[in-house]
Amino acid sequence: MAEYWTIALLGCLSIPYSICASVELSAVKPSVLDGNVSSLPYSQPNHSASSGHHSSEGLSLFVMDYSHVKAPFEIVMWIMLASLAKLGFHLYGRLPAVVPESCLLILVGLLVGGAMYKVWQQPPPVLSTDVFFLFLLPPIVLDAGYFLPIRIFFDNLGSILCYAVLGTFWNVFGIGVSLYGICQVQSFKLSDVSLLQTLLFGSLIAAVDPVAVLSVFEEIHVNEQLHILVFGESLLNDAVTVVLYKLFKAFCKMQVISLEDVLVGISQFFIVGFGGVAVGIFFGLITALTTRFTGKIQVIEPLFVFLYSYLSYLTSEVFHYSGIMAIIACAVTMKQYVEFNISQKSHITVKYFMKMCSSVSETLIFIFLGVSTVRDNHEWSWPFVCFTVFFCLLWRALGVLFLTAILNKLRINTVTFKDQFIIAYGGLRGAICFSLVFLLDDFPRKRLFITSTIVVILFTVFIQGMTIKPLVELLEVKRTGKPTNVSEEIHSRLLDHIVAGIEDISGHWGHHYWKDKFEYYNKKYLKRILVRQNKQSKSSIVHFYEKLEKKHAVESPDSVVLTDLPREQRQLETSPLQLQPGELDTIKSILSHSLHHIRRKNFLTNIYYLGDLSIFHKQAPAYSRHTLQPDVNSDEMKEIQFRRHSCQSRQDNQDNNKLNDTNQIYSGCTRQKQLTRSCTIGPEYKSDQLHPTEATHPADRSIHRGDHPPSWTTDNQQDKPSISFEK
Amino acid sequence: MGATGSAVSRVPGADEIQKETGFSSAHIYRLYDRFQVLDKDDNGVLSRRDLQSIGELAVNPLGDRIIDAFFPNGVETIDFRSFVRILAHFRPTEENRQREPNASEPLNSRNSKLKFAFQLYDQDKDGKISRAELLQVLRMMVGVEVTDEQLESIADRTIQEADLDGDGTISFEEFKKSLEKVNIEQKMSIRFLR
Repeated sequence: MAEYWTIALLGCLSIPYSICASVELSAVKPSVLDGNVSSLPYSQPNHSASSGHHSSEGLSLFVMDYSHVKAPFEIVMWIMLASLAKLGFHLYGRLPAVVPESCLLILVGLLVGGAMYKVWQQPPPVLSTDVFFLFLLPPIVLDAGYFLPIRIFFDNLGSILCYAVLGTFWNVFGIGVSLYGICQVQSFKLSDVSLLQTLLFGSLIAAVDPVAVLSVFEEIHVNEQLHILVFGESLLNDAVTVVLYKLFKAFCKMQVISLEDVLVGISQFFIVGFGGVAVGIFFGLITALTTRFTGKIQVIEPLFVFLYSYLSYLTSEVFHYSGIMAIIACAVTMKQYVEFNISQKSHITVKYFMKMCSSVSETLIFIFLGVSTVRDNHEWSWPFVCFTVFFCLLWRALGVLFLTAILNKLRINTVTFKDQFIIAYGGLRGAICFSLVFLLDDFPRKRLFITSTIVVILFTVFIQGMTIKPLVELLEVKRTGKPTNVSEEIHSRLLDHIVAGIEDISGHWGHHYWKDKFEYYNKKYLKRILVRQNKQSKSSIVHFYEKLEKKHAVESPDSVVLTDLPREQRQLETSPLQLQPGELDTIKSILSHSLHHIRRKNFLTNIYYLGDLSIFHKQAPAYSRHTLQPDVNSDEMKEIQFRRHSCQSRQDNQDNNKLNDTNQIYSGCTRQKQLTRSCTIGPEYKSDQLHPTEATHPADRSIHRGDHPPSWTTDNQQDKPSISFEK
Repeated sequence: MGATGSAVSRVPGADEIQKETGFSSAHIYRLYDRFQVLDKDDNGVLSRRDLQSIGELAVNPLGDRIIDAFFPNGVETIDFRSFVRILAHFRPTEENRQREPNASEPLNSRNSKLKFAFQLYDQDKDGKISRAELLQVLRMMVGVEVTDEQLESIADRTIQEADLDGDGTISFEEFKKSLEKVNIEQKMSIRFLR
């Protein structure tokens, strides 16, 4: 039922669009997005014409002045089409499970492109490279960089860089040289393609595309290590691609290529890569600094995040550095400090808006890929196209095999053959190749290159995209959290916790000498400059509260050893609590902020060793396009309080063996199953239902838990509404 | 012998530690550094409070139990040697090691790793995981929204799957067997140096 509605809606949309466009056919060339800014001046003469026309007739009831709003109208129509298409797919139930979204979007694009071609008798608007690189790509990369799982990314950074840099070099030269070899074969009639041209073609077709990888991989849920290897590679190979592409493009124009040109090219690679990262870090730090002062105007905090990251992208494009690396470096840098500085609401805004923009961008890109395929100036050459596809697959497979063989000797977690296959098979090409091929200078064989690029993209997205999910299941690649049996699941979880704990004790995350140094300087200098002051002060009280929260959150009713300690500790640390009543407010505000701090940190560190913890819950990866995590912090805070109540009440009930009380607590709260991730994310519940139980137990609590000053409990009670309802 | 560089000679008992645990001198130096960072009052031993001050450990659901594992038999403080001995359990296992026939089992073998994990369950050190002990650990690891009944059924199911001799508890051998498919050597290994 819903499907029919969406089809009807899409049909209805495309009709008025075509009509509007055909109205303009006589006046203006319908190149909507080839410089939408430049089309605005067109509206001026038309407007005056229509108004002149208008005045000569006198007043009329019905006026249609489309040209005035043409550009924004068409942009909105495209975005609307993309969003409705996406909506339609998800109403289709089983279809998204079989066919990845990217394929469906390209199909929609093909249909729309075909429709437009029929209506206008002209090729439909082409995805202009400027629009793609300046408007459509940055949101996706920003989203990817902001939600990048840092710990596992840096753990695997060496391998990722290896695949990205060495792998891409290998692919480029492999594809370029072998295609040249093919072109030399006389019977294919391709001998006018020079080596440089094939190398240029190789450089743009070899790069794995982050957009395509993201959209396909997030539906198949492989284990995090594999995901980050492929995804990280697709992000970081931008530097190599940019350099090689520009290099070969320049070489194509030059008559003589000397050795020093090649050396300049190689050094350019380092400059492009590190330059991009430096620009990104610079802007990340500036964002952090700016958000330090936005305490009074929290409404525009998200704006700074977006503006500065976009600015970092544009700035690096000015210098021809790698924009993708800049924006990723910016996002990674600013996230650590901005998280502390901006308010909870701004944080949510940033998250949602980022996801929304990247989702729309991705949809638009795929639709445009489909639309642009419908053109009448394709040049088809069977050998070239087929061999291109073949060589892309071949060289990627060889490259991955070869590199992994070397890497496995240096890594602790070996990349298995199944993983290698997925890495090789998951090397999807996407819109970046497409835009790059359009940017080529005109030469006789350009259309051939365009056609083969389109074929490669369609092949990888359709065939590889559709078959990768069944293959993953067939090969039984290690997925994220598939329990085989209950005891294995539980014991594995235990082991994960143990290893994480031991890593923390042995200082694993900081065990790299430079990481140690970085953390030290970070805490000492950077955080003082970049993070707002009141987050760091009153450390003894914060420390005490943290300890209290943590002790209460972890329940251990029977353990004799442990209950001795907290009492002893608390005795030492209750002394700072003799405070004036006037200071309670400041303490409360500080603590509500610091409570954020603990829990967020908790979430960040817990992602990678908890995985999907509870067997009863579905899990969603952190970088999911379709679903957002439920708001973690407020849920975690509720969880902490809830656990505190439940464990304390359970302690109270234990001797009396009254289970009906705990049942009452549990059943009294309305609980809904959510997409959750770790044990510290709790369900939605009405916390006002908890207050009655809490009110009956405060006196008992102080006895059980050692020196627990009654004033503290009442503060908590007052605090609770502000913390738990914070959304 | 074997000590390269004067830095390692600062570490007390480095040679014996190296022999016992198999860490290289660079590892030992690195761990001694960490030991000193953790040792707040600089008296050469770690107490429980030192380990509890590690922030990330405090939010680890099993943090307290892990700390307990460092202080066996109720000792109050540990020296560097004991510290390293526990951490040696997490050294990556070397394949194809030549084992002398009467050498004691290396600390980082699969068996030793599993024994370490087992002792986190087994609080009363009777060599078996009882249902109550299992429930305790489960409650720590799992979210609040899992009710007691559900937790008990999980525990029962776990014991049922693992318990081969039907005594209602999980012995160490049964524990090992239930994890035979899991790649313990990789899962329980940490790179102590990059």
